[in-house]
Amino acid sequence: MTANIATAVALTGRRVAIIDTDIQSPGIHVLFGLEEQRMNKALNDYLWGNCLIQDTAYDVTPPEVSSGGGQMFLVPSSLNPGEIARVLREGYDVSRLIDGIRDLIAALSLDYLFIDTHPGLNEETLLSMTISDALVIILRPDSQDYLGTAVTVELARRLEVPRMLMLVNKVPQGMDVEAVREKVQNAYRAPVAGVLPLSNEVMLLASSGIFILRAPRHPLAQQIRDIAADVVS
Amino acid sequence: MSVSSKRDDLGALVRETRAISSPFRTYLNELYTKFLPLRDGAVANYIPELARANPDAFGISVVTMDGRIFSAGDHQQLFTIQSVSKPFVFALAMEKHGREFVNSKVGVEPTGDAFNSLIRLDETSKRPHNPMVNAGAIATADLITAKDSASRLRLIMEMFRRFAGRDLNVDMSVFISERSTGHRNRAIAHLMLNFGMIGPKVDETLDLYFQQCSMLVNAQDLALMAATLANKGIHPTTGEKAVDPQYIRDMLSVMLTCGIYDYSGEWAYRVGIPAKSGVGGGMLGVVPGKMGIAVFSPPLDERGNSVRGRAVFEQMSIDLGLHIFESAGAKLPGLLP
Repeated sequence: MTANIATAVALTGRRVAIIDTDIQSPGIHVLFGLEEQRMNKALNDYLWGNCLIQDTAYDVTPPEVSSGGGQMFLVPSSLNPGEIARVLREGYDVSRLIDGIRDLIAALSLDYLFIDTHPGLNEETLLSMTISDALVIILRPDSQDYLGTAVTVELARRLEVPRMLMLVNKVPQGMDVEAVREKVQNAYRAPVAGVLPLSNEVMLLASSGIFILRAPRHPLAQQIRDIAADVVS
Repeated sequence: MSVSSKRDDLGALVRETRAISSPFRTYLNELYTKFLPLRDGAVANYIPELARANPDAFGISVVTMDGRIFSAGDHQQLFTIQSVSKPFVFALAMEKHGREFVNSKVGVEPTGDAFNSLIRLDETSKRPHNPMVNAGAIATADLITAKDSASRLRLIMEMFRRFAGRDLNVDMSVFISERSTGHRNRAIAHLMLNFGMIGPKVDETLDLYFQQCSMLVNAQDLALMAATLANKGIHPTTGEKAVDPQYIRDMLSVMLTCGIYDYSGEWAYRVGIPAKSGVGGGMLGVVPGKMGIAVFSPPLDERGNSVRGRAVFEQMSIDLGLHIFESAGAKLPGLLP
Protein backbone atom coordinates (compact mmCIF):
# COMPACT_ATOMS: atom_id res chain seq x y z
CA MET A 1 0.00 0.00 0.00
CA THR A 2 2.83 2.40 0.87
CA ALA A 3 4.43 1.73 -2.49
CA ASN A 4 1.19 2.44 -4.32
CA ILE A 5 0.44 5.64 -2.45
CA ALA A 6 4.00 6.88 -2.90
CA THR A 7 3.84 6.08 -6.60
CA ALA A 8 0.53 7.92 -6.91
CA VAL A 9 2.19 11.00 -5.41
CA ALA A 10 5.24 10.65 -7.66
CA LEU A 11 2.96 10.45 -10.71
CA THR A 12 1.96 14.06 -10.03
CA GLY A 13 5.53 15.09 -10.81
CA ARG A 14 7.06 14.99 -7.33
CA ARG A 15 10.35 13.72 -5.93
CA VAL A 16 9.40 10.93 -3.58
CA ALA A 17 11.32 8.36 -1.56
CA ILE A 18 10.32 5.33 0.45
CA ILE A 19 12.39 4.03 3.32
CA ASP A 20 11.78 0.46 4.46
CA THR A 21 12.34 0.54 8.22
CA ASP A 22 10.92 -2.96 8.60
CA ILE A 23 14.34 -4.34 9.33
CA GLN A 24 12.97 -7.61 10.66
CA SER A 25 10.95 -8.42 7.53
CA PRO A 26 12.03 -6.25 4.62
CA GLY A 27 10.10 -6.60 1.41
CA ILE A 28 8.99 -3.41 -0.26
CA HIS A 29 11.85 -3.46 -2.74
CA VAL A 30 10.22 -6.43 -4.45
CA LEU A 31 7.43 -4.23 -5.72
CA PHE A 32 9.96 -2.05 -7.51
CA GLY A 33 11.85 -4.91 -9.04
CA LEU A 34 14.98 -4.02 -7.10
CA GLU A 35 16.98 -7.23 -7.19
CA GLU A 36 19.10 -8.37 -4.32
CA GLN A 37 22.29 -8.31 -6.42
CA ARG A 38 21.77 -4.64 -7.22
CA MET A 39 21.34 -3.85 -3.52
CA ASN A 40 24.90 -3.04 -2.60
CA LYS A 41 24.14 -1.04 0.51
CA ALA A 42 20.96 -1.13 2.59
CA LEU A 43 19.57 0.81 5.55
CA ASN A 44 21.40 -1.59 7.88
CA ASP A 45 24.76 -0.41 6.53
CA TYR A 46 23.87 3.19 7.26
CA LEU A 47 22.66 2.37 10.78
CA TRP A 48 25.96 0.65 11.56
CA GLY A 49 27.84 3.72 10.43
CA ASN A 50 29.31 2.14 7.31
CA CYS A 51 28.07 4.72 4.81
CA LEU A 52 25.98 7.84 4.28
CA ILE A 53 22.22 7.54 4.02
CA GLN A 54 22.23 8.66 0.39
CA ASP A 55 24.50 5.71 -0.46
CA THR A 56 21.60 3.41 0.43
CA ALA A 57 19.05 5.13 -1.84
CA TYR A 58 18.26 3.51 -5.20
CA ASP A 59 16.53 5.26 -8.07
CA VAL A 60 13.47 3.10 -8.78
CA THR A 61 11.56 5.60 -10.92
CA PRO A 62 9.07 3.76 -13.11
CA PRO A 63 8.76 5.13 -16.66
CA GLU A 64 5.22 6.39 -16.02
CA VAL A 65 6.55 8.52 -13.15
CA SER A 66 9.55 9.94 -15.00
CA SER A 67 7.38 10.90 -17.96
CA GLY A 68 5.30 12.92 -15.52
CA GLY A 69 8.40 14.71 -14.23
CA GLY A 70 8.57 12.81 -10.97
CA GLN A 71 11.26 10.68 -9.41
CA MET A 72 11.22 7.81 -6.93
CA PHE A 73 13.91 6.49 -4.63
CA LEU A 74 13.94 3.52 -2.30
CA VAL A 75 16.05 2.88 0.78
CA PRO A 76 15.71 -0.86 1.31
CA SER A 77 16.50 -2.93 4.39
CA SER A 78 18.86 -5.83 4.04
CA LEU A 79 17.59 -9.25 3.00
CA ASN A 80 20.68 -10.96 4.26
CA PRO A 81 19.61 -13.16 7.21
CA GLY A 82 22.98 -12.62 8.84
CA GLU A 83 22.56 -8.86 8.74
CA ILE A 84 18.99 -9.09 10.02
CA ALA A 85 20.23 -11.30 12.83
CA ARG A 86 22.95 -8.79 13.64
CA VAL A 87 20.41 -5.99 14.05
CA LEU A 88 18.24 -8.19 16.25
CA ARG A 89 21.16 -9.14 18.45
CA GLU A 90 23.07 -5.88 18.65
CA GLY A 91 20.43 -3.30 17.94
CA TYR A 92 21.61 0.03 16.57
CA ASP A 93 21.72 3.68 17.54
CA VAL A 94 18.09 4.72 16.95
CA SER A 95 19.02 8.37 16.88
CA ARG A 96 20.95 7.55 13.74
CA LEU A 97 17.69 6.54 12.06
CA ILE A 98 16.19 9.94 12.84
CA ASP A 99 19.27 11.76 11.60
CA GLY A 100 19.32 9.58 8.49
CA ILE A 101 15.73 10.41 7.64
CA ARG A 102 16.43 14.13 7.93
CA ASP A 103 19.65 13.82 5.91
CA LEU A 104 17.92 11.79 3.19
CA ILE A 105 15.26 14.44 2.65
CA ALA A 106 17.95 17.09 2.32
CA ALA A 107 20.37 15.07 0.19
CA LEU A 108 17.78 14.02 -2.39
CA SER A 109 15.73 17.25 -2.27
CA LEU A 110 12.64 15.22 -1.61
CA ASP A 111 9.12 16.55 -1.73
CA TYR A 112 7.85 13.58 0.27
CA LEU A 113 9.35 10.72 2.21
CA PHE A 114 7.23 7.70 2.97
CA ILE A 115 8.39 5.67 5.95
CA ASP A 116 7.22 2.09 5.72
CA THR A 117 7.17 0.43 9.13
CA HIS A 118 6.80 -3.01 10.62
CA PRO A 119 3.23 -3.60 11.77
CA GLY A 120 2.61 -2.84 15.41
CA LEU A 121 4.83 -1.22 17.97
CA ASN A 122 8.56 -1.06 17.89
CA GLU A 123 11.21 1.60 18.23
CA GLU A 124 11.43 2.41 14.52
CA THR A 125 7.67 2.90 14.28
CA LEU A 126 7.57 5.16 17.33
CA LEU A 127 10.44 7.28 16.12
CA SER A 128 8.98 7.49 12.63
CA MET A 129 5.67 8.63 14.11
CA THR A 130 7.39 11.31 16.14
CA ILE A 131 9.09 12.98 13.22
CA SER A 132 6.33 12.55 10.65
CA ASP A 133 4.01 15.26 9.41
CA ALA A 134 1.29 12.73 8.67
CA LEU A 135 0.61 9.19 9.77
CA VAL A 136 -1.46 6.75 7.74
CA ILE A 137 -2.56 3.75 9.78
CA ILE A 138 -3.50 0.84 7.60
CA LEU A 139 -5.74 -1.86 8.99
CA ARG A 140 -7.99 -4.66 7.85
CA PRO A 141 -11.58 -4.82 9.07
CA ASP A 142 -10.70 -7.58 11.47
CA SER A 143 -11.04 -7.75 15.25
CA GLN A 144 -7.36 -8.35 15.82
CA ASP A 145 -6.40 -5.36 13.69
CA TYR A 146 -8.98 -3.18 15.45
CA LEU A 147 -7.37 -3.95 18.81
CA GLY A 148 -3.82 -3.46 17.63
CA THR A 149 -4.78 -0.22 15.94
CA ALA A 150 -6.24 1.15 19.16
CA VAL A 151 -2.81 0.86 20.73
CA THR A 152 -1.11 2.57 17.80
CA VAL A 153 -3.67 5.38 17.79
CA GLU A 154 -3.18 6.05 21.49
CA LEU A 155 0.56 6.27 21.10
CA ALA A 156 0.26 8.47 18.03
CA ARG A 157 -1.90 10.87 20.03
CA ARG A 158 0.56 10.93 22.89
CA LEU A 159 3.41 11.51 20.48
CA GLU A 160 1.36 14.42 19.09
CA VAL A 161 1.54 13.35 15.47
CA PRO A 162 0.27 16.41 13.55
CA ARG A 163 -2.06 14.48 11.26
CA MET A 164 -3.45 10.97 11.48
CA LEU A 165 -5.47 9.18 8.80
CA MET A 166 -7.02 5.74 8.89
CA LEU A 167 -6.97 3.51 5.85
CA VAL A 168 -9.00 0.32 5.89
CA ASN A 169 -7.81 -2.22 3.37
CA LYS A 170 -8.98 -5.60 2.12
CA VAL A 171 -12.65 -5.24 2.96
CA PRO A 172 -14.24 -8.49 1.80
CA GLN A 173 -17.22 -8.59 -0.52
CA GLY A 174 -20.39 -8.66 1.52
CA MET A 175 -19.13 -6.32 4.21
CA ASP A 176 -20.83 -2.90 4.28
CA VAL A 177 -18.14 -0.37 3.34
CA GLU A 178 -19.98 2.61 4.82
CA ALA A 179 -20.60 0.76 8.07
CA VAL A 180 -16.88 0.01 8.26
CA ARG A 181 -16.00 3.64 7.59
CA GLU A 182 -18.34 4.83 10.35
CA LYS A 183 -17.10 2.21 12.78
CA VAL A 184 -13.46 3.14 12.27
CA GLN A 185 -14.13 6.88 12.41
CA ASN A 186 -16.03 6.53 15.68
CA ALA A 187 -13.66 4.05 17.25
CA TYR A 188 -10.52 6.12 16.67
CA ARG A 189 -11.98 9.62 16.21
CA ALA A 190 -9.75 10.15 13.21
CA PRO A 191 -10.59 10.85 9.56
CA VAL A 192 -10.80 7.81 7.31
CA ALA A 193 -8.83 8.40 4.13
CA GLY A 194 -10.28 5.36 2.39
CA VAL A 195 -11.99 2.01 2.72
CA LEU A 196 -10.60 -0.29 0.06
CA PRO A 197 -12.11 -3.57 -1.05
CA LEU A 198 -10.23 -6.82 -1.05
CA SER A 199 -9.22 -7.13 -4.66
CA ASN A 200 -8.54 -10.38 -6.40
CA GLU A 201 -6.55 -8.52 -9.05
CA VAL A 202 -4.22 -7.15 -6.40
CA MET A 203 -3.83 -10.62 -4.89
CA LEU A 204 -3.00 -12.05 -8.30
CA LEU A 205 -0.35 -9.40 -8.86
CA ALA A 206 1.18 -10.82 -5.67
CA SER A 207 3.46 -7.85 -5.03
CA SER A 208 5.34 -8.33 -8.27
CA GLY A 209 4.68 -4.75 -9.27
CA ILE A 210 2.91 -1.51 -8.44
CA PHE A 211 -0.83 -2.08 -8.86
CA ILE A 212 -1.77 1.44 -9.89
CA LEU A 213 0.77 1.32 -12.71
CA ARG A 214 -0.25 -2.16 -13.90
CA ALA A 215 -3.99 -1.45 -13.78
CA PRO A 216 -4.38 2.33 -13.86
CA ARG A 217 -8.02 2.22 -14.88
CA HIS A 218 -9.08 -0.20 -12.15
CA PRO A 219 -11.46 1.54 -9.68
CA LEU A 220 -9.13 0.59 -6.86
CA ALA A 221 -6.31 2.47 -8.58
CA GLN A 222 -8.45 5.62 -8.64
CA GLN A 223 -9.31 5.19 -4.96
CA ILE A 224 -5.61 4.93 -4.18
CA ARG A 225 -4.84 8.05 -6.18
CA ASP A 226 -7.56 9.91 -4.27
CA ILE A 227 -6.13 8.74 -0.98
CA ALA A 228 -2.65 9.85 -2.02
CA ALA A 229 -3.97 13.31 -2.87
CA ASP A 230 -5.60 13.46 0.54
CA VAL A 231 -2.44 12.38 2.34
CA VAL A 232 -0.26 15.07 0.81
CA SER A 233 -2.83 17.86 0.90
CA MET B 1 11.72 3.13 51.06
CA SER B 2 8.85 3.37 48.60
CA VAL B 3 8.98 5.39 45.42
CA SER B 4 6.27 7.99 45.35
CA SER B 5 5.41 7.89 41.64
CA LYS B 6 3.48 5.17 39.84
CA ARG B 7 5.13 3.24 37.04
CA ASP B 8 4.34 4.98 33.80
CA ASP B 9 6.10 2.96 31.15
CA LEU B 10 3.97 4.35 28.36
CA GLY B 11 4.73 7.89 29.43
CA ALA B 12 8.41 7.06 29.71
CA LEU B 13 8.41 5.51 26.22
CA VAL B 14 6.71 8.57 24.78
CA ARG B 15 9.18 10.88 26.52
CA GLU B 16 12.18 8.88 25.37
CA THR B 17 10.92 8.77 21.81
CA ARG B 18 10.30 12.50 21.70
CA ALA B 19 13.67 13.24 23.24
CA ILE B 20 15.46 11.23 20.56
CA SER B 21 13.80 13.18 17.77
CA SER B 22 14.07 16.65 19.24
CA PRO B 23 16.21 19.47 17.81
CA PHE B 24 17.83 19.82 21.20
CA ARG B 25 19.41 16.41 20.84
CA THR B 26 20.73 17.46 17.45
CA TYR B 27 22.24 20.49 19.19
CA LEU B 28 23.99 18.23 21.72
CA ASN B 29 25.33 16.11 18.87
CA GLU B 30 26.69 19.29 17.28
CA LEU B 31 28.44 20.19 20.54
CA TYR B 32 29.88 16.70 20.66
CA THR B 33 31.18 16.95 17.10
CA LYS B 34 32.55 20.43 17.72
CA PHE B 35 34.48 19.64 20.88
CA LEU B 36 35.62 16.07 20.29
CA PRO B 37 38.70 17.33 18.37
CA LEU B 38 39.65 19.50 21.36
CA ARG B 39 42.57 17.45 22.59
CA ASP B 40 44.10 19.76 25.17
CA GLY B 41 44.75 18.60 28.68
CA ALA B 42 45.72 15.22 30.10
CA VAL B 43 43.99 12.36 31.79
CA ALA B 44 44.49 12.26 35.59
CA ASN B 45 47.31 9.93 36.49
CA TYR B 46 47.81 10.10 40.25
CA ILE B 47 46.56 6.54 40.36
CA PRO B 48 46.99 3.97 37.56
CA GLU B 49 43.25 3.27 37.23
CA LEU B 50 42.53 6.86 36.26
CA ALA B 51 45.56 7.00 33.96
CA ARG B 52 43.95 4.24 31.88
CA ALA B 53 40.98 6.38 30.87
CA ASN B 54 40.34 6.87 27.15
CA PRO B 55 41.19 10.50 26.32
CA ASP B 56 38.61 10.52 23.53
CA ALA B 57 35.75 9.37 25.75
CA PHE B 58 33.24 12.21 25.68
CA GLY B 59 29.60 12.25 26.74
CA ILE B 60 26.99 14.95 27.25
CA SER B 61 23.64 14.56 28.98
CA VAL B 62 20.85 17.02 29.80
CA VAL B 63 17.72 16.26 31.82
CA THR B 64 14.68 18.53 31.98
CA MET B 65 12.22 18.96 34.84
CA ASP B 66 9.68 16.69 33.18
CA GLY B 67 12.22 13.88 33.01
CA ARG B 68 13.22 14.05 29.36
CA ILE B 69 16.81 12.91 28.86
CA PHE B 70 18.86 14.24 25.94
CA SER B 71 22.27 12.73 25.40
CA ALA B 72 25.14 12.62 22.95
CA GLY B 73 28.33 10.64 22.74
CA ASP B 74 29.51 8.37 25.55
CA HIS B 75 26.74 9.33 27.94
CA GLN B 76 26.56 5.85 29.44
CA GLN B 77 30.23 5.21 29.93
CA LEU B 78 31.05 4.76 33.61
CA PHE B 79 33.76 6.68 35.48
CA THR B 80 34.46 7.47 39.13
CA ILE B 81 32.54 10.42 40.51
CA GLN B 82 35.47 11.83 42.58
CA SER B 83 34.83 15.38 43.80
CA VAL B 84 31.42 15.64 42.15
CA SER B 85 30.21 13.62 45.15
CA LYS B 86 31.20 16.33 47.62
CA PRO B 87 28.21 18.69 47.55
CA PHE B 88 25.88 15.72 48.01
CA VAL B 89 27.66 14.43 51.10
CA PHE B 90 27.65 18.03 52.38
CA ALA B 91 23.84 18.02 52.12
CA LEU B 92 23.62 14.62 53.79
CA ALA B 93 25.69 15.95 56.70
CA MET B 94 23.31 18.90 57.07
CA GLU B 95 20.27 16.62 56.95
CA LYS B 96 21.81 14.70 59.81
CA HIS B 97 23.18 17.51 61.98
CA GLY B 98 21.59 20.72 60.79
CA ARG B 99 23.15 23.68 59.05
CA GLU B 100 24.66 25.43 62.09
CA PHE B 101 26.54 22.40 63.29
CA VAL B 102 27.97 21.61 59.89
CA ASN B 103 28.97 25.26 59.41
CA SER B 104 30.89 25.04 62.67
CA LYS B 105 32.96 22.21 61.22
CA VAL B 106 33.41 23.36 57.63
CA GLY B 107 33.53 26.89 56.24
CA VAL B 108 32.04 28.11 52.97
CA GLU B 109 34.80 30.36 51.65
CA PRO B 110 36.42 29.66 48.31
CA THR B 111 40.10 29.14 48.90
CA GLY B 112 41.29 29.87 45.41
CA ASP B 113 43.48 26.82 45.83
CA ALA B 114 43.91 23.84 43.54
CA PHE B 115 41.98 20.64 44.18
CA ASN B 116 44.92 18.92 45.76
CA SER B 117 46.11 21.97 47.61
CA LEU B 118 48.50 21.74 50.49
CA ILE B 119 47.27 20.97 53.91
CA ARG B 120 45.55 24.19 54.79
CA LEU B 121 42.99 25.01 57.35
CA ASP B 122 41.69 28.40 58.37
CA GLU B 123 44.30 30.06 60.59
CA THR B 124 41.99 31.01 63.42
CA SER B 125 39.05 28.65 63.38
CA LYS B 126 41.06 25.67 62.12
CA ARG B 127 38.03 24.73 60.00
CA PRO B 128 38.63 23.50 56.47
CA HIS B 129 37.70 26.31 54.10
CA ASN B 130 34.73 24.74 52.32
CA PRO B 131 33.21 21.29 51.65
CA MET B 132 34.63 21.13 48.12
CA VAL B 133 38.33 21.01 49.03
CA ASN B 134 39.64 17.67 50.24
CA ALA B 135 39.93 18.75 53.85
CA GLY B 136 36.35 19.99 53.88
CA ALA B 137 35.09 16.91 52.12
CA ILE B 138 36.81 14.65 54.64
CA ALA B 139 35.31 16.69 57.45
CA THR B 140 31.80 16.33 56.01
CA ALA B 141 32.32 12.61 55.42
CA ASP B 142 33.29 12.41 59.07
CA LEU B 143 29.87 13.83 59.94
CA ILE B 144 28.05 10.94 58.24
CA THR B 145 27.79 8.97 61.44
CA ALA B 146 26.24 5.57 62.08
CA LYS B 147 26.91 2.51 64.17
CA ASP B 148 29.58 1.06 61.90
CA SER B 149 31.43 1.68 58.64
CA ALA B 150 29.00 -0.44 56.58
CA SER B 151 26.05 1.59 57.86
CA ARG B 152 27.84 4.86 57.14
CA LEU B 153 28.52 3.79 53.57
CA ARG B 154 24.93 2.65 53.23
CA LEU B 155 23.69 6.14 54.15
CA ILE B 156 25.82 7.65 51.41
CA MET B 157 24.94 5.00 48.80
CA GLU B 158 21.23 5.34 49.61
CA MET B 159 21.41 9.07 49.11
CA PHE B 160 23.14 8.68 45.75
CA ARG B 161 20.57 6.08 44.74
CA ARG B 162 17.80 8.59 45.37
CA PHE B 163 19.60 11.24 43.37
CA ALA B 164 20.55 9.06 40.42
CA GLY B 165 17.38 7.00 40.38
CA ARG B 166 19.32 3.76 40.38
CA ASP B 167 21.74 1.81 42.56
CA LEU B 168 25.34 2.89 42.08
CA ASN B 169 28.48 0.86 42.74
CA VAL B 170 31.93 1.59 44.08
CA ASP B 171 34.87 0.78 41.83
CA MET B 172 36.89 -1.37 44.18
CA SER B 173 40.21 -1.12 42.38
CA VAL B 174 40.03 2.68 42.36
CA PHE B 175 39.05 2.69 46.03
CA ILE B 176 41.95 0.48 47.04
CA SER B 177 44.34 2.49 44.91
CA GLU B 178 43.17 5.78 46.43
CA ARG B 179 43.35 4.38 49.90
CA SER B 180 46.89 3.10 49.52
CA THR B 181 48.21 6.33 47.97
CA GLY B 182 46.12 8.92 49.77
CA HIS B 183 48.92 10.16 52.03
CA ARG B 184 48.08 13.83 51.72
CA ASN B 185 44.45 13.11 52.57
CA ARG B 186 45.54 11.01 55.50
CA ALA B 187 47.75 13.85 56.71
CA ILE B 188 44.91 16.37 56.35
CA ALA B 189 42.64 14.08 58.33
CA HIS B 190 45.08 13.70 61.17
CA LEU B 191 45.74 17.43 61.26
CA MET B 192 42.01 18.04 61.57
CA LEU B 193 41.74 15.42 64.29
CA ASN B 194 44.51 17.27 66.08
CA PHE B 195 42.41 20.44 66.04
CA GLY B 196 39.20 18.64 66.96
CA MET B 197 37.63 19.31 63.56
CA ILE B 198 36.90 15.63 63.05
CA GLY B 199 36.20 12.74 65.38
CA PRO B 200 38.59 9.91 66.29
CA LYS B 201 37.45 7.39 63.64
CA VAL B 202 39.94 8.72 61.13
CA ASP B 203 40.57 5.51 59.18
CA GLU B 204 36.87 4.75 58.94
CA THR B 205 36.15 8.27 57.72
CA LEU B 206 38.94 8.14 55.20
CA ASP B 207 37.69 4.82 53.88
CA LEU B 208 34.24 6.33 53.53
CA TYR B 209 35.68 9.34 51.75
CA PHE B 210 37.70 7.20 49.33
CA GLN B 211 34.65 4.97 48.63
CA GLN B 212 32.49 8.00 48.02
CA CYS B 213 35.01 9.29 45.48
CA SER B 214 35.26 5.88 43.80
CA MET B 215 31.58 5.56 43.07
CA LEU B 216 30.86 4.75 39.42
CA VAL B 217 28.53 7.03 37.50
CA ASN B 218 27.95 8.04 33.90
CA ALA B 219 27.07 11.43 32.39
CA GLN B 220 23.41 10.50 32.36
CA ASP B 221 23.47 9.72 36.09
CA LEU B 222 25.10 13.08 36.84
CA ALA B 223 22.57 14.91 34.66
CA LEU B 224 19.74 13.21 36.56
CA MET B 225 21.35 14.15 39.86
CA ALA B 226 21.72 17.75 38.70
CA ALA B 227 18.13 17.79 37.45
CA THR B 228 16.98 16.55 40.85
CA LEU B 229 18.68 19.55 42.41
CA ALA B 230 17.13 21.81 39.78
CA ASN B 231 13.77 20.25 40.56
CA LYS B 232 13.76 21.22 44.26
CA GLY B 233 15.13 17.86 45.32
CA ILE B 234 12.58 15.66 43.53
CA HIS B 235 13.95 13.18 41.02
CA PRO B 236 12.41 14.04 37.67
CA THR B 237 11.65 10.47 36.58
CA THR B 238 11.23 8.47 39.80
CA GLY B 239 9.49 11.29 41.64
CA GLU B 240 11.41 10.39 44.79
CA LYS B 241 12.54 13.10 47.20
CA ALA B 242 16.32 12.87 47.26
CA VAL B 243 17.20 15.62 49.73
CA ASP B 244 15.58 18.07 52.10
CA PRO B 245 14.95 21.05 49.79
CA GLN B 246 16.07 23.56 52.43
CA TYR B 247 19.69 22.45 51.86
CA ILE B 248 19.68 22.82 48.11
CA ARG B 249 20.60 26.46 48.39
CA ASP B 250 23.58 25.48 50.55
CA MET B 251 24.76 22.99 47.95
CA LEU B 252 24.26 25.30 44.99
CA SER B 253 25.82 28.39 46.54
CA VAL B 254 28.94 26.48 47.56
CA MET B 255 29.08 24.88 44.12
CA LEU B 256 28.86 28.28 42.47
CA THR B 257 31.68 29.78 44.52
CA CYS B 258 33.87 26.75 45.10
CA GLY B 259 32.81 24.01 42.70
CA ILE B 260 35.35 24.28 39.90
CA TYR B 261 38.60 24.32 41.93
CA ASP B 262 40.85 27.19 40.99
CA TYR B 263 38.62 28.24 38.11
CA SER B 264 35.53 28.87 40.20
CA GLY B 265 35.74 32.64 39.86
CA GLU B 266 36.06 32.57 36.08
CA TRP B 267 33.35 29.93 35.96
CA ALA B 268 30.90 32.03 37.92
CA TYR B 269 31.76 34.86 35.54
CA ARG B 270 31.66 32.99 32.23
CA VAL B 271 29.20 30.16 32.80
CA GLY B 272 27.28 31.42 35.81
CA ILE B 273 25.61 28.25 37.03
CA PRO B 274 26.34 26.16 40.13
CA ALA B 275 28.52 23.28 39.07
CA LYS B 276 30.97 20.70 40.31
CA SER B 277 33.88 19.06 38.55
CA GLY B 278 35.83 15.93 39.38
CA VAL B 279 39.15 14.50 38.30
CA GLY B 280 37.42 11.41 36.93
CA GLY B 281 36.43 13.72 34.06
CA GLY B 282 32.88 14.38 35.18
CA MET B 283 31.23 17.75 35.50
CA LEU B 284 27.68 18.56 36.49
CA GLY B 285 25.79 21.85 36.39
CA VAL B 286 22.42 22.87 37.76
CA VAL B 287 20.03 25.35 36.15
CA PRO B 288 17.39 25.71 38.87
CA GLY B 289 13.87 25.11 37.63
CA LYS B 290 15.08 24.22 34.16
CA MET B 291 17.58 21.41 33.77
CA GLY B 292 20.52 19.38 34.93
CA ILE B 293 23.56 19.16 32.66
CA ALA B 294 26.52 16.82 32.79
CA VAL B 295 29.62 16.25 30.70
CA PHE B 296 32.11 13.42 30.85
CA SER B 297 35.54 13.76 29.30
CA PRO B 298 38.67 12.52 31.10
CA PRO B 299 41.35 14.97 29.87
CA LEU B 300 41.81 17.67 32.50
CA ASP B 301 43.37 21.10 32.38
CA GLU B 302 46.11 22.13 34.82
CA ARG B 303 43.48 23.01 37.41
CA GLY B 304 41.89 19.56 37.35
CA ASN B 305 38.78 20.46 35.34
CA SER B 306 37.60 18.55 32.27
CA VAL B 307 38.72 20.51 29.20
CA ARG B 308 35.77 19.49 27.03
CA GLY B 309 33.48 19.89 30.03
CA ARG B 310 34.41 23.54 30.34
CA ALA B 311 34.04 24.08 26.61
CA VAL B 312 30.56 22.53 26.52
CA PHE B 313 29.30 24.45 29.54
CA GLU B 314 30.70 27.76 28.29
CA GLN B 315 29.04 27.25 24.90
CA MET B 316 25.71 26.11 26.34
CA SER B 317 25.63 29.00 28.76
CA ILE B 318 25.84 31.44 25.86
CA ASP B 319 23.56 29.54 23.49
CA LEU B 320 20.83 28.84 26.00
CA GLY B 321 21.22 31.91 28.19
CA LEU B 322 21.90 29.84 31.30
CA HIS B 323 23.95 32.35 33.35
CA ILE B 324 21.98 33.12 36.48
CA PHE B 325 22.55 36.82 35.87
CA GLU B 326 21.81 36.65 32.14
CA SER B 327 19.78 39.74 31.34
CA ALA B 328 20.00 39.92 27.57
CA GLY B 329 18.57 36.56 26.55
CA ALA B 330 19.89 33.40 24.92
CA LYS B 331 21.82 33.41 21.67
CA LEU B 332 19.64 30.53 20.39
CA PRO B 333 16.37 31.11 22.24
CA GLY B 334 14.24 28.55 20.40
CA LEU B 335 16.47 25.73 21.43
CA LEU B 336 15.66 25.28 25.09
CA PRO B 337 14.16 21.80 25.46
